[in-house]
Amino acid sequence: MDGFSAFALLLRFRALVSFLIIVAVWQLVAALGLAPEKYFPGIPAIVSGFLGMVANGELAAAEWRTLLRAMLGLAGASLLGVGLAILSDISPAFRRGFAPIAALIQPIPPAAVVPMAVFMLGLGPKLYAFIIILVTVWPPYFNGVAALASVSDIQIRSGQMLGLSRWQILRQIKLPAAMPEIFAGIRYASTISLIAVVVAEMLAGHDGLGFLLVRKAFAIRIPEVYALMFVCAANGLVLNAIVNAARWQLAGWHLRMTGQPA
Amino acid sequence: MAMDVVLSAQGLTKTYGAGKDALQVLGGISFAVNRGEFVSVVGPSGCGKTTLLFAIAGLQGVTSGTVTFNGRPVTAPPKGVAVVFQDYSRSLFPWKNNRDNVAFGMARIQGLSAAQKRDKAQEMLDAVGLAGFADKYPWQLSGGMQQRVAIARGLASQSELLLLDEPLAAVDAQTRADMQDLLLDLAIRFKQTCVLVTHDVEEAVYMADRVVVLTRRPTVVDHEIVIELGKKRDQITTREDPRFLAARHDVMTSIRGQRAHAPASAA
Repeated sequence: MDGFSAFALLLRFRALVSFLIIVAVWQLVAALGLAPEKYFPGIPAIVSGFLGMVANGELAAAEWRTLLRAMLGLAGASLLGVGLAILSDISPAFRRGFAPIAALIQPIPPAAVVPMAVFMLGLGPKLYAFIIILVTVWPPYFNGVAALASVSDIQIRSGQMLGLSRWQILRQIKLPAAMPEIFAGIRYASTISLIAVVVAEMLAGHDGLGFLLVRKAFAIRIPEVYALMFVCAANGLVLNAIVNAARWQLAGWHLRMTGQPA
Repeated sequence: MAMDVVLSAQGLTKTYGAGKDALQVLGGISFAVNRGEFVSVVGPSGCGKTTLLFAIAGLQGVTSGTVTFNGRPVTAPPKGVAVVFQDYSRSLFPWKNNRDNVAFGMARIQGLSAAQKRDKAQEMLDAVGLAGFADKYPWQLSGGMQQRVAIARGLASQSELLLLDEPLAAVDAQTRADMQDLLLDLAIRFKQTCVLVTHDVEEAVYMADRVVVLTRRPTVVDHEIVIELGKKRDQITTREDPRFLAARHDVMTSIRGQRAHAPASAA
């Protein structure tokens, strides 16, 4: 095998290669004793912690709840964000009125919302829905507003020449044209959604990954804590794959046009 | 007049802004287009050609004056008028393949099934020489080919009047000559009345039965000339014909004269 085809092989499995490099560096740091073993366990300890949680079923239960909350929250936030963006596009008065509200709410960190939300909504699905949507709605909203405003005037005029109503132009021209940028926002929002769920579970939950993580941390089960951290990271990949599948469905033309890989 | 007038513009004025920032673009434009005619509207840069075209198309209101299409005043884009825009890359829909882009032009035609629209779209793509590209997307085609798709979409709407807003300004010279002939052929074949708005004098004369020459801002019609070269044009012989050269000379002189005046009065 010459150098070129070896490189091609590396490129083909690039995701796996990067992952293995991280694992190797991690193990190297642990093996060299650069950090105390108690607080920085090696890969075998983390894997065994992970397998332990798989075996007793606590991981699957927590993972499923967290992922479901993140997915539903993201879906809700995306629909709401795009809905508000459409409203802003139809009504400049709404857009101008809503802008200061958005500017005020947006910088509040998810953790700061939790205590108020607990008082208002108690502990339960409503709490998660509120927190996730409050922090996740912004990227789809802002991208949606920008994308709808920048649809080519010539495309809109082409629709007007065919006697299309305002609503038909929105549905048939503006929304499809805005879809790629909206999805860029949703993709970003998917990460925020995962962070918000875990933070809410840590602060006010009684189940889910965040809750499990806090419990393991208080029990000083360090390998399990690290394993859960890796699970949180993997959830990012899962949600990203789901968003990408939807993106191919609704804006696949743009990915093909710009030659982007999935 | 026994002529069958399709489109008529009477005293069109358009002023943007108000007060001391007011800019009068159209100064009272009047002209008419007869059925089956190919009329070129040509004027110096910045004389408001696109404003005029949008007013005729019902896409933009005027400050005063009236546009009538088949005798009815135009207040919104009327059925029976199609526009081919200069900027094809921003006019076609990149999420639709070429067939669906053309079929979109039939949005106003009633009583056609989806299958009939598909067939009709294919027929129009054949007519513009893109038979094999129906399943491709606009962004997979060259600029000239994209403009052919836009022309096919305009034809598919089965409009009587085709408004062409500098449709060939963005394509290379060779493609441009081919597409001039294509447009002339299609206009005859589909019995389209055409209005071509352009700043290119040669193109205006080559394509038209009649040329409407505009002045600089505030724009009015300077004069009109009938191009007596018959419907059949040829890139080589027509352009060498003394009548072509005389008409070109006339229009060019008028437009260059307009330009020479411009800086003095702009102050």
